[in-house]
Amino acid sequence: MGDSQYSFSLTTFSPSGKLVQIEHALQAVGSGQTSLGIKAANGVVVATEKKLPSILVDETSVQKIQLMTPNIGVVYSGMGPDSRVLVRKSRKQAQQYFRLYKEPIPITQLVRETAAVMQEFTQSGGVRPFGVSLLIAGYDDNGPQLYQVDPSGSYFSWKASAMGKNVSNAKTFLEKRYTEDMELEDAIHTAILTLKEGFEGQISGKNIEIGIIGADRKFRVLSSSEIDDYLAEVE
Amino acid sequence: MSRGTGAGYDRHITIFSPEGRLYQVEYAFKAVKAAGVTSIGVRGKDSVCVVTQKKVPDKLLDQTSVTHLFPITKYLGLLATGMTADARSLVSQARNEAAEFRFKWGYEMPVDVLSKWIADKAQVYTQHAYMRPLGVASMVLGIDEEKGPQLFKCDPAGHFFGHKATSAGLKEQEAINFLEKKMKNDPAFSYDETVQAAISALQSVLQEDFKATEIEVGVVTEKDPVFRVLSTEEIDEHLTAISERD
Repeated sequence: MGDSQYSFSLTTFSPSGKLVQIEHALQAVGSGQTSLGIKAANGVVVATEKKLPSILVDETSVQKIQLMTPNIGVVYSGMGPDSRVLVRKSRKQAQQYFRLYKEPIPITQLVRETAAVMQEFTQSGGVRPFGVSLLIAGYDDNGPQLYQVDPSGSYFSWKASAMGKNVSNAKTFLEKRYTEDMELEDAIHTAILTLKEGFEGQISGKNIEIGIIGADRKFRVLSSSEIDDYLAEVE
Repeated sequence: MSRGTGAGYDRHITIFSPEGRLYQVEYAFKAVKAAGVTSIGVRGKDSVCVVTQKKVPDKLLDQTSVTHLFPITKYLGLLATGMTADARSLVSQARNEAAEFRFKWGYEMPVDVLSKWIADKAQVYTQHAYMRPLGVASMVLGIDEEKGPQLFKCDPAGHFFGHKATSAGLKEQEAINFLEKKMKNDPAFSYDETVQAAISALQSVLQEDFKATEIEVGVVTEKDPVFRVLSTEEIDEHLTAISERD
């Protein structure tokens, strides 16, 4: 990829052994809107702030939480346009796997391939790292799973995680509230409460997005009225 | 090459700065404003209207060749604000893409699909060092079969959103403030109201009254979903209606 004039990596080691472009990419993620994910005993929930630049923006045209396959969803913090590239590549990889094996791709495999793409862009010539961290949530034969992938291409499985502007407060909150035997409904309430903690302004179904997947293995994004119902329960 | 903390190249090509910003993309936004032109788009109940200033810098220029409003297909229009040369390149590629889409899939390319394509292309330029971002903000308009009138705006960073009303260019922020007030209660503008809202927004923000030859207006309506550029006479009618209303 890239023109031959740029067939050298732009991400190079500093004298102290750091890859500064990746550090800067993490800064870009850290200034993005907060998002989080919680793995429950019987499902996974991901949630994100959806703050739009103006009330003139038609919020129905924007959906931050995307599906990679019918049973795997993803949310990002950081640069939206970069996340679209990763979603597109991952969807194709999932489909190629299905064509070959006639089986839905296991979540670990999809995460690994997505992470490999992100790593490529930290080493290939003439490109910069992705300015996003992804939370990939799904339910397959190994049960509910939640993975976080960083701009460096490293990934870990999480019981609960957060990213973006309010990451430290959100993680502290999650550490206190998380229990191993949480049910999906509890997880949704906890996710909303965590988002509410750092939320500037009036939280509503129109300025947050929530995606859930349960034992039915169908990832779906909640409608704004469903979110409003949950918000009322949480009050 | 780039070593240590922010060793200068982060301003020349699209790599990250120490704060995690992309300076080249931010400069591309400035280039959109540097063209000195403001554009406005408004979505009504059953129509969409875009308006832009028509600045002809030299009297010897053929005015009909100075345009920022481009039909991409019969049904899709694109208003490009910013660097004209970049705009023409983008329009040329968009026309090709829309035609291929129609051929491949058998139906017209919808507004949001074209906007996504433009935005994804813009994103590539923000990630690959060998191409600079385009200095163009594009407003795409059309009538969607299922969703009705649609107005999308794509920027050099690769963002794209659907809008009820929006603006781009020199007085972008002032125009958005003006439009936010106007569209606050989700008014469902008729065709005439939509066109007049767009034109009067531009007049108010630039604080001058236009002649019909000083602006370009493009519309699509549900009744006639073809993208049309209004003639000078039609623009005059609207201008008259606005001044009579005030």
